[in-house]
Amino acid sequence: MKIEGEYMFDGTREQVWDVVRDPEVLATALPGTQSLEQVSENEYQGEMHVRIGPVAGLFSGLLVISDEVPPESLTMTVEGKGKPGFVKGTGSVQLISQEANKTLMQYQGDMQIGGRLASVGQRMMESVSKSLLKQGLDSLNQALLARQASQTTGEQVEYKPPSESEFAASVAKDMAGEVFSSRRVIWIAGAIVIIIIIILAAILTR
Amino acid sequence: MKKSIGERIKRTEDPRLLTGQALFVDDVNIPNMLHAAFLRSDYAHAYLRSVDVSEARARPGVVAVFTAEDMGDDWQPGPPLVSPPPTVEDITFYSRRQVPLAKDKVRHVGEPIAVVIAESRYIAEDAVEDILVDLDPLEVVSDIETALDPNAPLVHDDLDSNLAAHMIQSKGDYQAAKATAEVVISRKIEIDRGAAAAMENRGIVADWDSKSQHLTVWDTTQAPIPIRNGLAARLGLSESQVRVIAPFIGGAFGPKMMMFYPEEMRIPWISIQLGRAIKWIEDRRENFYATTQERRQVHEAEMLLTREGKILGVSHTFLHDSGAYDPYGLTIPLNTESHAMGAYAVPNYFSDLTVVFTNKILTTPIRGAGRPQGIFVVERLLDLAAKELEMDPVEIRKLNFIPPDAFPYEQQIIDQAFSPLIFDSGDYQPVMEKAAGMIGYDQFVKEEQPRLRAEDKHVGIGIVPFVETTGVGPYEGARITIEASGKINVATGVGTQGQGHFTAFAQVVAEQLGVDVKDVNLVTGDTAQFHWGTGTFASRGAVVAANAIHASALIVREKVLKLASKLLEAPEEELELEDGYVRVADIPHLSISLGDLAAEANPLRGAVEPGTEPGLEATAYFGPKYGAIAFGVHAMIIEVDPETMMVEIKRYVVVEDCGTVINPLILEGQIHGGVAMGIGNAYYEQLIYDENAQLLNASLADYLIPTANEVPRIEIGHFETRSPLNPLGTKGVGEAGTIPVPALFAQAIENAFPDHDLEILEMPLSPNRLFELLQEKESEK
Repeated sequence: MKIEGEYMFDGTREQVWDVVRDPEVLATALPGTQSLEQVSENEYQGEMHVRIGPVAGLFSGLLVISDEVPPESLTMTVEGKGKPGFVKGTGSVQLISQEANKTLMQYQGDMQIGGRLASVGQRMMESVSKSLLKQGLDSLNQALLARQASQTTGEQVEYKPPSESEFAASVAKDMAGEVFSSRRVIWIAGAIVIIIIIILAAILTR
Repeated sequence: MKKSIGERIKRTEDPRLLTGQALFVDDVNIPNMLHAAFLRSDYAHAYLRSVDVSEARARPGVVAVFTAEDMGDDWQPGPPLVSPPPTVEDITFYSRRQVPLAKDKVRHVGEPIAVVIAESRYIAEDAVEDILVDLDPLEVVSDIETALDPNAPLVHDDLDSNLAAHMIQSKGDYQAAKATAEVVISRKIEIDRGAAAAMENRGIVADWDSKSQHLTVWDTTQAPIPIRNGLAARLGLSESQVRVIAPFIGGAFGPKMMMFYPEEMRIPWISIQLGRAIKWIEDRRENFYATTQERRQVHEAEMLLTREGKILGVSHTFLHDSGAYDPYGLTIPLNTESHAMGAYAVPNYFSDLTVVFTNKILTTPIRGAGRPQGIFVVERLLDLAAKELEMDPVEIRKLNFIPPDAFPYEQQIIDQAFSPLIFDSGDYQPVMEKAAGMIGYDQFVKEEQPRLRAEDKHVGIGIVPFVETTGVGPYEGARITIEASGKINVATGVGTQGQGHFTAFAQVVAEQLGVDVKDVNLVTGDTAQFHWGTGTFASRGAVVAANAIHASALIVREKVLKLASKLLEAPEEELELEDGYVRVADIPHLSISLGDLAAEANPLRGAVEPGTEPGLEATAYFGPKYGAIAFGVHAMIIEVDPETMMVEIKRYVVVEDCGTVINPLILEGQIHGGVAMGIGNAYYEQLIYDENAQLLNASLADYLIPTANEVPRIEIGHFETRSPLNPLGTKGVGEAGTIPVPALFAQAIENAFPDHDLEILEMPLSPNRLFELLQEKESEK
């Protein structure tokens, strides 16, 4: 499966680079990540909980960063295995400076999937991955903004990454948007998602 | 004598089947029985570095876990199902057989690596998830067209390439004919994979009783006797120590003929190891990648014709996908070769077959078994020729049919059994005319279609004839016993999977013994009852098994007449068998019931005459010289919705010549089912693999099987040319309904879009694919 896209960050190339290369931040941006540890300079090992439609489970994997040209570009290779199958992907990322301290991230990747993830999850794979990617990049951008705020105020501004259920809710919303094109349906789906979030929040804060 | 053969009798087995009173494998429950679940490969191609089952073994409720290592010397590749082709000139064949549990390497997604035995299936499935497997992924051979590239990865490391087989067959002199041909049609034609998708998945229950040293196996197999023989051989038991029962089976369609599936050998072996009964029932997802598939072939095909439309030659060079192993030999592609000349007199034929290994699930026959591909090739080429010559599709076919006086017609090639292919009998033109008449071909083309087209409707008509090689040997047998109750017991070796054997075979017996079919009790697929035979496959039940039953019924009838003649003091010629009695024809009150006669034949005192046998019983066998060739024509009228590309079948006509019809009602049911499967093959069912040979639609949510909405009402006509190869004159029909449907869809859809110059050279299609093909044509305009 090919993945391709771009994303606009609210920060300079250097700031974006720092965020991307910080495993703690990266871990929060990859939805469902349970742990992400740096095992060598460019290698991270971690566990991630993934849900694609009816297929869910824990993946353990290795993330390798190579061909680094700070703060311009890098290549990421991910290899994950879990009960529901396996994922193997390579992606290249470029950061391009834009006006007004903004940075455009362009990414291209190729992903292989296997096992139950492929045989049963395939139908939802593309939309779910797109959505996960968008949520993840949004979180990275939030982290970036939080850092900038800390730097200007000198105070620690807490960046709170979205929880897994919030991710799931956003993915559901994105998928609803793909399935139903009519605006009214999106509105209804959105309302349902909001209600679910409220219920979840109520349960979680109890 | 009252006729029974040819009677439209309702199936006597249906009340049991419809009220849940029939035994299926999953209904077998034995005290203390354990349950199995398999760990299967997620990778299509990988080295197996290690399997750690310690955590699984430690799970409460788990009794045992087995890997290839745990099997010791009992680990051996499965026996070949069909004997490998004889080493004759020009045949290359590399036999590579499926393994019981993967060792060193996995070669397709779903290949079993380990098996867990536990107190329940739930525990077994959980324990499968406890197993840690280290698989080292390899490059994948994902398609036949790139499998023979010099740098392609190897499915079997010990071979020089992925070539599994190569063979050339020819008739006449194709090249010389090409030099004189006025019209040459050449196209690349592609057919993809589909599943059999039987309603019931596979299942096995094995029960080793150590005290009686006896193994009983319930198996969803089409071939219980060969399974028993193979199990006994592999397990080091006497055949008398093994009983295999194929009870009622919810559809088979070919893949249940595959022997041996890894699970089929493993479960009985484990039952002996543990001294416990073991059950394994395949789930639907396993069925998608552990049960065999079919049909992927790519043909470079060509037809030579005269200006008048007379076929001079057919040639095709084709690739056949065998998947990761080839236990079934060349059956499928040889069937394709036997059908690529269709029902036509083709003087020159050339066929160059290459079979390749890929990292996909193995292929073995599925209803049609290579025949739909052959018919698709020849019928497509003929349709394109008709267009080029501006001839009517019906006329060009009538011009080329093998004439009725040419039978037996020698095709001068060998068939799937490596015997000469001979068409035994037939009369094709009247069948074609009957089908054209039933669908109102001329009237539709001349009047209705122009009127509907003027209303902007995309209506099309198709009419496609086909042949089917059926009823091949080697043999089947049956034992018939008249019991003292007057009931008739019939035991035969073939398994039953919904074909209506209980009724049709009873009719064959009733015809000779003059009893009601309800008084005939049939036992099929139990090696304890009858243990000679091969199985239910290749549309041969009504040919080979029915004729064996007929043969033993004749012997029993003789015995009945002989004994009755003695007891009633009347000559045999004056006796008649009716309503369960033997009567003297002119003196109705002078009679004896079959039950009383059976009791007389098995006396408790006195002496049986030397040289005679007790009872009214006989066992007989039948093996045909070669297969009988059935024929038929399918025709349909469709309307395609230009918005959704859904095909609505307005009318569907089948005219079938399968020789003597034993029961028209059952015959029609077979055709209905076959057509439904053909519709799936043509427009809905396709197994989608990605470039890593991962199956992407392994669920019934994504793999579309036609439903009642997609299957039309089918109008059926009969035509009868008896086969001279067997006493009943029957020809097989089990696969007939499926064979011509893809070719029919292609013709009808092309006909529905006359302005697009559409050429359909691939199957299966789908609404999406038809849309794409039409878009391509639009952009060319």
